[in-house]
Amino acid sequence: MGITRYIVRRLMFSVALVLGVSVIIFTLINAIGNPVEILLADRPGITQEAIDAISRYYNLDQPPLIRYFVWLWNVVRGDFGTSIVYNQPVGDMLFTWGLETMKIQIPAILISLVAAIFIAVTAATRQYSRVDFGVMSGALLGQSLPGFFVGIILILVFSYWLGIFPSYGAYSTRRMLMGSGLIDGLWHMVLPVAMLAFFNTATLTLLMRSNMVDVLRHDFIMAARASGLPERRVVYRHAVRNAFIPVLTYLGILFGLMLGTAPVTETVFTWPGLGFLYIQAIQQLDYPVIMGETMIITVMLVTATLLTDIAYVLIDPRIRLE
Amino acid sequence: MTADVVPAGERDLIRVEHLRKLYPVRRRGVFRSRQTGEIRAVDDISFTIRRGETLGLVGESGCGKTTTARAMLHLIEPTSGSAFFGDVDVLEVFAEGRREDTLKIRRRMQYVFQDPYLSLNPRWTIAQTLLEPFRVHRHVPEADWHRRLVELLHLVGLEEYHAWRYPHEFSGGQRQRVGIARALAVEPEFVICDEPVSSLDVSVRAQILNLLVELQAKLRLTYLYISHDLSSVRFVSNRVAVMYLGKIVEMAAVDELFSHPMHHYSYALLTAIPVPDPDVPAGRSVLVGEVPSAMRIPQGCRFHPRCPAATEVCRTVEPPLAPAGGDRLLACHHPR
Repeated sequence: MGITRYIVRRLMFSVALVLGVSVIIFTLINAIGNPVEILLADRPGITQEAIDAISRYYNLDQPPLIRYFVWLWNVVRGDFGTSIVYNQPVGDMLFTWGLETMKIQIPAILISLVAAIFIAVTAATRQYSRVDFGVMSGALLGQSLPGFFVGIILILVFSYWLGIFPSYGAYSTRRMLMGSGLIDGLWHMVLPVAMLAFFNTATLTLLMRSNMVDVLRHDFIMAARASGLPERRVVYRHAVRNAFIPVLTYLGILFGLMLGTAPVTETVFTWPGLGFLYIQAIQQLDYPVIMGETMIITVMLVTATLLTDIAYVLIDPRIRLE
Repeated sequence: MTADVVPAGERDLIRVEHLRKLYPVRRRGVFRSRQTGEIRAVDDISFTIRRGETLGLVGESGCGKTTTARAMLHLIEPTSGSAFFGDVDVLEVFAEGRREDTLKIRRRMQYVFQDPYLSLNPRWTIAQTLLEPFRVHRHVPEADWHRRLVELLHLVGLEEYHAWRYPHEFSGGQRQRVGIARALAVEPEFVICDEPVSSLDVSVRAQILNLLVELQAKLRLTYLYISHDLSSVRFVSNRVAVMYLGKIVEMAAVDELFSHPMHHYSYALLTAIPVPDPDVPAGRSVLVGEVPSAMRIPQGCRFHPRCPAATEVCRTVEPPLAPAGGDRLLACHHPR
């Protein structure tokens, strides 16, 4: 099967998957009830007429099935609806808040990838040494500590005690003082990025190290040495490339799950990103935002998986498409 | 043979002297580990290989054949000893570690691995694998790479179009041809063949063995051929060394050894060869017991617990490897 046909088929599955998720989320939100009623019911001075009028404004008087297809049709045309709480178009909100999330997630993934490869190679080429033992213990610790705990420790040490980095937010009035929004933005990014990178590095290191140890046992490594290749190039040209494939899968999952880990990080650091928005939207039953963001999460996960599978085929000639 | 006119020393291409490889055995504590013993994988062995000959190295699995071979090329670091190529001590060169010197060694001594499924990088095409030595050694001008690559493939019985394929697209026999081509890419004089056919189907073993013999004649190669399969050793070797628990116990010309083994272990190995004739009664194994652990090598002659002829002296005195008539070396108190 050609790669184009494979991609087309996978894309069709992906669309079906995204539709399925949208139906489930829509059903769940509707099971809770009319958000306008829930939000306004106990407020003094609100009449049933007012509630009905607001419900009509948001099309909430229509039967769920109709509302689903109206929502779907609008999404297809690029309209995610309007946030009940912010009264802004959801599409624009997802974009601006999404940029803030990317700002900490992408650097964290890239940093942890480079760090993990370097650390894992160092450990794997010295298997069972003290260095290896130390790396393994550190990585296990890093993987088992809850993210929010690491975040709070970071805040305690670097914000509260040392006062170097800000403990919350993405921007501050320091922006004016420093004369540059860029430096201010980077300054705010440090702690959230560190928290994310800490966990990612730990997981990637464990994965990469065990793959490296496995690959280094193969005879083609010794064959490369026998042909006179310098040790560094034996390790990087032969071993790292072969050990990288399972890491690539995990990397794909990390990209896809970006928005899954975002709520914790962004709550700890009050970071104005999609994770923070998502938690707020759920608490306030801002259903257009919940729907829109769930769609974004699903699409990202599906795309990341698809891209990973394609990258797999390109990197590993042994993988056949079927 | 014209070898007789050459003085004994000069016809030797390879001379291994007192090669040892010990692996420490440690017991791990919480904070530190302490050494509780050692595995004597290769226990002080010496031998020579003459220019242009094939020395067969036989013995049961785990007796140290592969360790010996890999230590000779410094693919694993030996504990002590030397391995001379001509009059250069290979192991000393690697200990000094000057890159241009070690590269010279790598060009002259090559290795063919046992399992062609593990010894080729699965993500590289055959061309990439075969051209890597060219990239390292620069012994062929880049303009000639393609021509040399095709020559190499033809030399081992493959075609030009095979160059663009990946290892998984080949059969075991073809992969081993690639493994041989990789070893030959640097135009070596000495090649260690480490059980090159034992992971292949019986039907293709003969082809690979014939190829090795052909190449030896064509390129004037010297081989160390390692195997536990005695029939293939008999086919390719001029002389044979029998190894038991990290030591050579007998070494002789192939015909002498096969027709008249003097060490009881050599005899036991030879009688274990199945004869493809149903009328010949199956020989009963003369070996009793298991190979002892290389961590606890018996006192005296290391073969004595399993030897039918063992006496008191075998239990206490280790027999040295000494001349035993003609070209033969033997380490036994009571030869057959």
